[in-house]
Amino acid sequence: MMEPKPANPLTRRQLFRGAARMMTMTGLGVAVGALATRGAKGASVWQIDPARCLHCGNCATHCVLEQSAVKCVHAYAVCGYCQLCTGFFAPEPNELTTAAENQLCPTAAIKRTYVEDPYYQYSIDEQLCIGCAKCVEGCNRFGNGSLFLQIRHDRCLNCNECAIARACPGDAFRRVPVEHPYLLKTTSR
Amino acid sequence: MARHLKFVVALGVMLLLGLMVSAEQRFPPPDFENGYVLPSASTPPARQFWLQYADAGVLLACLAVAVFLLYKKRSRRGLFWLSLFSLAYFGFYRKGCVCVIGSPQNVVYGLFNPQYAVPATVLIFCFAPIVVALFAGRAFCAGVCPQGALQDFMLIKPVSVPLWLEQALGVIPFVFLGAGLICAGTGTGFLICRYDPFVPFFRLSGGLFILAAGAVFLLAGMFVGRPYCRFLCPYGGLLRLASLASKWRVRVTPAVCTQCRLCEKSCPFGAMREPAPAQTNPTGLAAERKRLGWLLVLLPALVLAGAWAGAKLSPAAAQLDPNVALAERYLRQQSHPAQYGLMTPEALSLQRASENPAPILQSAAEARRRYDTACRLFGGWIGLILGVKLIALSLRSSRTDYEPDRGACFACARCFSACPDERVRLGQIL
Amino acid sequence: MNASPVYRALVLTAWVAGVFCALLCGVLAYEHFAAATNDPWKSPQLLALKDKLAAEPKNEAAQKEIRQLDLQFRRQFRRRLALDKTGAWLLAAGVVVLALAAGRAVTLKKPLPLPQPKTGGGEQSVRLASRARWSLAGVGLVIAGSLLVVRLGNTSYLPASQAGWQKLLAPSAAQEAPVEDVPALAEFQANWPRFRGWDGSGVSLSGSNAVAGVLWQSAIPAPGHSSPVVWGDRVFISGGTVARREVFCYNAATGALLWQRPLENVPGSPPKVAEVPEDTGYAASTMATDGRHVYAIFANGDLGAFNFDGTVAWTKYLGPWKNPYGYATSLAVWGSNLLIQLDQGDARPAGSKLLSLQGASGRVLWERDRPVPASWATPIVIEAAGKTQIITLANPWVISYALAGGNELWRAQLLENEVVPSPVLAGGYVLLLSPSTSLMALRPDGAGDVTKTCVVWTNEENVPDISSPVSNGELAFTVTSGGMVTCVGVGDGKKVWEKQLDMEVQASPGLMGGRLFVLGEHGPLAMLQAGRKPDDLGRIALADRFVASPAFAGGHVFLRGMTNLYCLGPAAAKSAKQP
Repeated sequence: MMEPKPANPLTRRQLFRGAARMMTMTGLGVAVGALATRGAKGASVWQIDPARCLHCGNCATHCVLEQSAVKCVHAYAVCGYCQLCTGFFAPEPNELTTAAENQLCPTAAIKRTYVEDPYYQYSIDEQLCIGCAKCVEGCNRFGNGSLFLQIRHDRCLNCNECAIARACPGDAFRRVPVEHPYLLKTTSR
Repeated sequence: MARHLKFVVALGVMLLLGLMVSAEQRFPPPDFENGYVLPSASTPPARQFWLQYADAGVLLACLAVAVFLLYKKRSRRGLFWLSLFSLAYFGFYRKGCVCVIGSPQNVVYGLFNPQYAVPATVLIFCFAPIVVALFAGRAFCAGVCPQGALQDFMLIKPVSVPLWLEQALGVIPFVFLGAGLICAGTGTGFLICRYDPFVPFFRLSGGLFILAAGAVFLLAGMFVGRPYCRFLCPYGGLLRLASLASKWRVRVTPAVCTQCRLCEKSCPFGAMREPAPAQTNPTGLAAERKRLGWLLVLLPALVLAGAWAGAKLSPAAAQLDPNVALAERYLRQQSHPAQYGLMTPEALSLQRASENPAPILQSAAEARRRYDTACRLFGGWIGLILGVKLIALSLRSSRTDYEPDRGACFACARCFSACPDERVRLGQIL
Repeated sequence: MNASPVYRALVLTAWVAGVFCALLCGVLAYEHFAAATNDPWKSPQLLALKDKLAAEPKNEAAQKEIRQLDLQFRRQFRRRLALDKTGAWLLAAGVVVLALAAGRAVTLKKPLPLPQPKTGGGEQSVRLASRARWSLAGVGLVIAGSLLVVRLGNTSYLPASQAGWQKLLAPSAAQEAPVEDVPALAEFQANWPRFRGWDGSGVSLSGSNAVAGVLWQSAIPAPGHSSPVVWGDRVFISGGTVARREVFCYNAATGALLWQRPLENVPGSPPKVAEVPEDTGYAASTMATDGRHVYAIFANGDLGAFNFDGTVAWTKYLGPWKNPYGYATSLAVWGSNLLIQLDQGDARPAGSKLLSLQGASGRVLWERDRPVPASWATPIVIEAAGKTQIITLANPWVISYALAGGNELWRAQLLENEVVPSPVLAGGYVLLLSPSTSLMALRPDGAGDVTKTCVVWTNEENVPDISSPVSNGELAFTVTSGGMVTCVGVGDGKKVWEKQLDMEVQASPGLMGGRLFVLGEHGPLAMLQAGRKPDDLGRIALADRFVASPAFAGGHVFLRGMTNLYCLGPAAAKSAKQP
């Protein structure tokens, strides 16, 4: 039962309400029409532009998730496979070994494996990476720049307002279409 | 010695790599001899787009079920289970995003920024609950909103808030709505998303401040029912307005109200209204008319005063915009230099600004212009809501039945079981 | 009803759940705060140990400790993440149990509705409405008040008016004009506007008369090791102590002190002046001038630009600096640009950078971070390979930057030890010294890392550790601290001759009118033929201690001693004049 039978057919209040309802519906319709006809291209997701990234370290601390959705990614085609990798080793390492005092990565997420003389492969263990950009900083400053940060979309919640984007000093975050959600590096610069 | 070692090794590496030094890459790509294949970067895809439409579909279905449960079945139990489902789906599964409460920001952002196309699903999320409210009241609040469901679940011992206090504090949601839409319209950010206290619980992570705020709201919600909904929710303000014009209203009794008063204290959210008699004292009527007249005159004055005050707020408010904030920091650095740690984000952003300040200053100038208008609107809006609320509090509403206030009723159906006619309908009393 | 076992059980469950949740919150909060110092990349303990290891690379105990701590922290970090995850779910479960149990208990105890007789009626609702209106007014005041507080507590540096914005966005005429008003290259070449001359080569294109003796000497009221710079008829020199740092201007012809101006009240410069090692002092960096302003930088971080009449044009604080010996790199000018090489750091880089400022306004045009620790060499600007390049030296990198924009053009890893000598351009090559190790000639036309391709020749004999080389394009001359002068051919780097002068030398040599000038630390000023045979052209005895390199202009030589400024010139005007 919606409401009891009204005593009189239409009160003044009901008239006002009806008019307000009609006007609101019209207004909503206009708004929907104005916005929907823009040709919604489909959903978009957040991504980091590696060319603008300043490797400041905010990605590790500002994500709303405890383990940041930003991880380091390796563009193997750009890598020089150097024995002295400035993204792996701390500046002026004691020795070229994987000992803790020589490594740059605070969580030991980069794995160094011998390929052939004098080349070594450096790969990122995503489970361990926290997105602090120390390796990206080292690689970009003294190396080829093959290490870069990207938002991983199996972790990212795609917030309306990305908390890291707000704090990014290089203004490196932008929205990309969901079909091509990554901005991978293919060249050194 | 270590320095020498590094130098020799580096030199050796470079010699072995051959004499060709690429102008683009510092260390040229190696030619592997043992058949090593370059691995490729993994690119896990984002959530599939059609699932967003599924979310919108679930929203519409839940709204329909809520209206059905409220008017046809009149079932509190049904609404309770529906709200738990919404908490699980929209809250913990979708982590509170796309959120109905925040969607007006996207709509306003889309209205003022032609390059942003509001996705159709966001339009559904924004407008469907309002359309439902225009016809059936705040069915969304009771059955579908995950934040509301969370607070509802945490309600243990309701304490009644005095009506006058509730009415006075009822303007705050509109202030929050104005601030959020201003920020969205100027393209600064999404304030309502930033300061939602419950979404960190859905995500199971968050900053210390917002988690503490959420905990405070939940604890308060154990005693003061739905504190966020009543005193802060910006979308709730919109629904309140829409419900005032709703075609059907939630009625405590399925039949005719007999003024038995058994439902007086049955609403934990202070939405129950008593029958109000017409004015019997003629002198009182004259005083009331005079007051109403003054308040009607005061309304445009408040709006103009608010707009003037809003313009004064603009330089401070504009600093919410990241370009303005950077430009301010850049200019401050020139007159009052501060030392920022090496390679810290502040130092890096200042470096970026000092290398090429012109575009940043240009964007800051445009943002300040936008904020001048926006803050004037915001100030006028606050004046408007204060004036309109004052007028609304001076109007008499004559009521013969005990019924919930159209705007304040969350349509949770808790008051139904207090009515003897409802018990008759359920067959519990003969 | 009170003693209902169901009720009691529910209340008990609620209490247990409540305590459980509170404890869990406490544990998670404690974990969060403890993490502030225990995360592997934040721990100050670990960072201190790493610094210690950098200072003593062979310290095995430090290595072991670092490895242990690092492992421990990483384990703790992973444990904390797992704890947070399970903790969150446990907390959620606890809250659910609490809500259900407590809610049910309250429902059981809920009293039946008992409506009381109504009093007041209409009056009450009028009163309530009135109260609501007043409290609404109160809320409005609170909102207005808090927005007012926000506004008052906020300072905005952006312009308030339209005119202000226009001025900010469009560079004003005052900023533009000095850029066009730059002296011609010939004027720079005729003067001595920076350390070792207009191009840093140490070669003066003016004057061919022989230098015979001291023309005048004037007292410099403040100590320092910076060399004089000369423009037109003025000689500028800087000096200073911890108490006061000043710039002095003398008349080049008579030695009269025209003006002296202290550099003080620089915005951002701390009132307590940073300590600098005494050997270096506060005024070790030579000044620079572009003919419109004269610039001075001091080791505490203050940079100042002065007009030629002595008034201050602008000042800037660039410190504080971490330099083990004290900042001593001199300023460089090229056209309207002022270039500052700010290298700092001990074992590892600590914020070294190269800055380019617009000389007239002090506006930073660009700055570049440098991956090097402290160095004391001064950069030079050369035109080579079709570009205007800034050549900078530090340990271990030689880096070339483009003057416009500051992008790195090429770099080479060639240097060792403490880099003090500055480079010169000779015969199309960049000549530089790796102190005490080798003299090298580089081709400045590479890109990227050119370490193994840019070196044309190396000569490892008699390599100085302090003074810079000088060259006339065919022959290059170096002087060691012990006074050994060596001449090598610029084309092939082969030694042509060497001559021992039997004096200690700290100043860099200079070339004027075909003569090589070598300034001994305790005098004299030795003059040799700058050719294939080291003919001795005479010595001028000087009773002072000289560390600063000489300046040459208009056929005169300007020397800075410990307390005096000397001007030496041809025999005709040989009477020593006192101011």
